[in-house]
Amino acid sequence: MLSDKAKKEIEEIHGRYHSRRSATMAAMQIVQAEGGHLTEADMREIAEIVGVNPVQVQEVGAFYSMYNVERPVGKYHVQVCRNISCSLLGAEHIIETLEKKLNIKTGETTTDKLFTLTTAECLGSCGTAPMMQINDDYYEDLTDAKVGEIIGKLK
Amino acid sequence: MPKVKINDKEVEVKDGTLILDAAKEAGYIVPTFCYQADLSSLGSCRMCLVEIKGQRKLQPACITPVLDDMSVETNNETVSSARSAMLEFLLSNHAFDCPVCDKAGECELQDMVHKHGPHKGRHAEPKHSFHNKDYALNAVIVKNSNRCVQCQRCVRVCEEVVGRGVLGSIGRGHIQEETSFLRTYLDCDHDGMCIEVCPVGCFMRRPYRFKARPWDLKSTKTVCPYCATGCRMTIQERDGEVVRSIAMPEDGFNGKMMCARGRFGYDFLNSKGRLTTPLIKNKDGVHEPISWDKAIDIIKTRFARTAPEKIGAVASARLTNEALYLMQKLMRDVVGSGNIDSSSRWNHSVVEGFVQATEIPKGGTSIYDAMDSDAIFVLGTHVSDENPVTDYVIRNLAAANRKSVFVATPRAMKLDSSAQMVFRYKPGRLAAMLGAIVGKFQETRGDKLSSVKGLSPTLSKDLEELSKASGISLDDIATLVTRLNISEKITLMAGTELLRGGDGIKGLGLLRDTLRALGKEVLVMPILDRSNQRGAWDMGINPVFGPGYAPVEGKWKGTEEMLEAALDGDFDVLYVLGEDIQSMFPDRSFATMALSKLDFLVVQAAYMNETAKMADLILPGGSFAEKHGNYTNQEGRVQAITKLMEPPGDGKTDLDIIWLIGSALDSSFGPNLPREVFKEIQSKVDMYSEVEPTGFISADTGEEPVYKFDFKEALVGSGSVELLDVEAKDAEIKIGTDGDHPFMLLTGNHLFHSGVMSMQSELLKGLLGKPIIEMSALDAKELDMNIGDLVTVRGNGFEADFVLRIKEGTPRGVIFMPENYQEIAVNKFYERKTGIPGVNVTAQRG
Ligand code: SF4
Ligand code: SF4
Ligand code: SF4
Ligand code: FES
Repeated sequence: MLSDKAKKEIEEIHGRYHSRRSATMAAMQIVQAEGGHLTEADMREIAEIVGVNPVQVQEVGAFYSMYNVERPVGKYHVQVCRNISCSLLGAEHIIETLEKKLNIKTGETTTDKLFTLTTAECLGSCGTAPMMQINDDYYEDLTDAKVGEIIGKLK
Repeated sequence: MPKVKINDKEVEVKDGTLILDAAKEAGYIVPTFCYQADLSSLGSCRMCLVEIKGQRKLQPACITPVLDDMSVETNNETVSSARSAMLEFLLSNHAFDCPVCDKAGECELQDMVHKHGPHKGRHAEPKHSFHNKDYALNAVIVKNSNRCVQCQRCVRVCEEVVGRGVLGSIGRGHIQEETSFLRTYLDCDHDGMCIEVCPVGCFMRRPYRFKARPWDLKSTKTVCPYCATGCRMTIQERDGEVVRSIAMPEDGFNGKMMCARGRFGYDFLNSKGRLTTPLIKNKDGVHEPISWDKAIDIIKTRFARTAPEKIGAVASARLTNEALYLMQKLMRDVVGSGNIDSSSRWNHSVVEGFVQATEIPKGGTSIYDAMDSDAIFVLGTHVSDENPVTDYVIRNLAAANRKSVFVATPRAMKLDSSAQMVFRYKPGRLAAMLGAIVGKFQETRGDKLSSVKGLSPTLSKDLEELSKASGISLDDIATLVTRLNISEKITLMAGTELLRGGDGIKGLGLLRDTLRALGKEVLVMPILDRSNQRGAWDMGINPVFGPGYAPVEGKWKGTEEMLEAALDGDFDVLYVLGEDIQSMFPDRSFATMALSKLDFLVVQAAYMNETAKMADLILPGGSFAEKHGNYTNQEGRVQAITKLMEPPGDGKTDLDIIWLIGSALDSSFGPNLPREVFKEIQSKVDMYSEVEPTGFISADTGEEPVYKFDFKEALVGSGSVELLDVEAKDAEIKIGTDGDHPFMLLTGNHLFHSGVMSMQSELLKGLLGKPIIEMSALDAKELDMNIGDLVTVRGNGFEADFVLRIKEGTPRGVIFMPENYQEIAVNKFYERKTGIPGVNVTAQRG
């Protein structure tokens, strides 16, 4: 069940869009901000509110890496780009380092629910490869040392 | 018009033509995956890359329009190697499990790789696998995503054609999967359009699973036997069992489109309950086999010794034109009786009015011409349920060509979402709504309407009253009138709601004439729910008009009058062909009593049915897969059905049986071969004289000609229009609700059913499950009921149990009940001539 607050916010946001369905992304963001990820029930409810089929909400959720569909994430969601430029400059190595440092595999969350590690396709920062994104921030020109420092600060 | 050079050939094409189509015109086929003519363009698979002279990069032919002077190469070295490379990518994740894939042997990917390579892959990376095992999406669809080429045809067809949009493209790039929400069970229309359009073995038919390879199958081209949309299809059998029906993209006006009934309802052909020998009722009332000779002899004697006016025949609107024509010839010319009818649901007087209001005798109208109108007004027909593919055509073409659709029906339906305006008039009050529309025209442009016959001068004065009676606000009526005023060409599509009680028939005629008087081009299309209903009328299966709508002499009876006379002991012999009067006549107890008073009841049917159980003599008729002949669909399109197999046991085709009876009574009865009977029809019935039925094998060459997609030569011409001079009347529909029976009961065809025939299909029966009723959410809430509750419906001294479904858009105070259950005789809720029955609904607690 969506919270009353979320429902109210979604209702408010509708007015900004030409059609109800255009509010899908915004509605998803509102709901995810509360629960950290989107559950099956969330998506069904959002679909009902904006007047689309649930599968269309899932489509949007699966298309954009910022949504966590049926995937609870830790406080810090670490996404490492593994597209061509980053890979050429050692993304795989960065991922290994992170796995060792956090003691989890890609796709997993630490037991203290602090970190989730995933990979992402191009995040549009090839000039500063290799790079990763933690929640809404970019970390660029990564090296082993830099990764250690960033994670250390967050722990 | 731009001139373009494709390889070595110059062609001149229309502005905006795609390179793909220009190439086709020049005789070059460009391979495609994601392109499909009736879907929105995607241009994602890049199979269709071609080289345009002067452009550095190859371009996709399926989304690039030609420009004047363009020079395109579709087959050179660069293009071929690009094609091969695209396929290499598509194969990089492909499962390569052709030996266990149902699609193998008719797979576009197999064919494409065979033709365009590569025959070796270079990818060393591990393949991405979506899942280990195929998964079922519902009772008819099984899915394997590891074979997907991500063309998204399935997703687009579900949204743009079917109008459901329950499939999505989940994820990006090579891990994108086309499937349902979280791969959960799909409670959808079960039409299998996604299966039909999938080029590979991702979406597959569950009932066909592991049953055959294409080369094992024997096929025949035919027409779907369910509704009068008349979809062309191919049915295929292996070892005597019909295993699937598929659409015929190049051959039928319906392209790849079919609905659940057409695509999965074929299995009634394998039903075990077939009648295989003539049966006579013995002294103890038990049916026992007799020979054909004896059976025909008994009929001959009975017919000969009974006065013609006490003999009658009721034929199903699912027989072929040939059988129907011969049947009326037998009755009228040999027996001397004009007591014939083609339905037990509608009174023939309503039929006559409907035929006139929809201008059927004027000849055929292609649905593609109809859809070329500025406004399409769908009234009194739940097309989405009764004629699903008609619904697809309307949705798809209206969206693609920006046409306005208006819907006026008493119940909600899927097409509502494609309509500019929806008018949910009160059940039985279409006449009032149409009166209000015409009244509004009268008020605003009355000076132009003096030529409209039968127009009451006061309609515009009664506007308020009419609007109130119909439940449609004056504002909405005014908006519709404005919208129709700005349209130049308008199509009115009208259907079974008008036929059920005659509601709105006169109004339809008035609206049609009013629009014409205002200078608009108006087409009227009947929307019918039995495959050969229009053919049956064309063949004169009606007590008032003969073949080609020529009036007949004398006063004869339709089904209802025959039953009335029987009840009075004034009618002796009834010959019923393919109909089940007991199940379909809207007053069960009346029908039972009347039939039991007959001296002699002959029933000809493929399956045992409720009427046959009462028969003195039963004749085993053939199913549509066992005969040659023609059906005429609601457009007036004549289409051939061809034989796939022989009737089981001693069964005979309907045509053969009628002929046997006819020639026993009269040795010069005439031809019995379908082709010859059709020739006779063409020589006797003007409307058919020029028709070239789609799929008919030419008598001269023994070959079937090649058709265009929308083959206009198959449309019937005009008949005796002027002669059919019946006064179309609007019936005043009574509503039987009262304090104890607060709900109006509406019945009709469910999406998965159509008449009693579909009840022989285990597959279709399985889709709907237990008998259901539909109700509005608000009524359910007030009664404290939920989806899935078991409820009892009572009315007319009858009661039955149903599972409750809640359907959005159902008006308050209305329940809908599909009329096709074998276990529940829905017509027991009806009493003749009392309009819409009132019923009550109670929950079963505990
Ligand atoms: S069967 Fe029809 S409605 Fe169901 S998913 Fe396939 S295309 Fe969509
Ligand atoms: S499932 Fe079939 S139709 Fe759908 S995208 Fe994949 S290959 Fe295309
Ligand atoms: S039932 Fe009607 S719409 Fe469905 S496939 Fe048959 S003819 Fe077409
Ligand atoms: S067919 Fe042209 S891009 Fe797919």
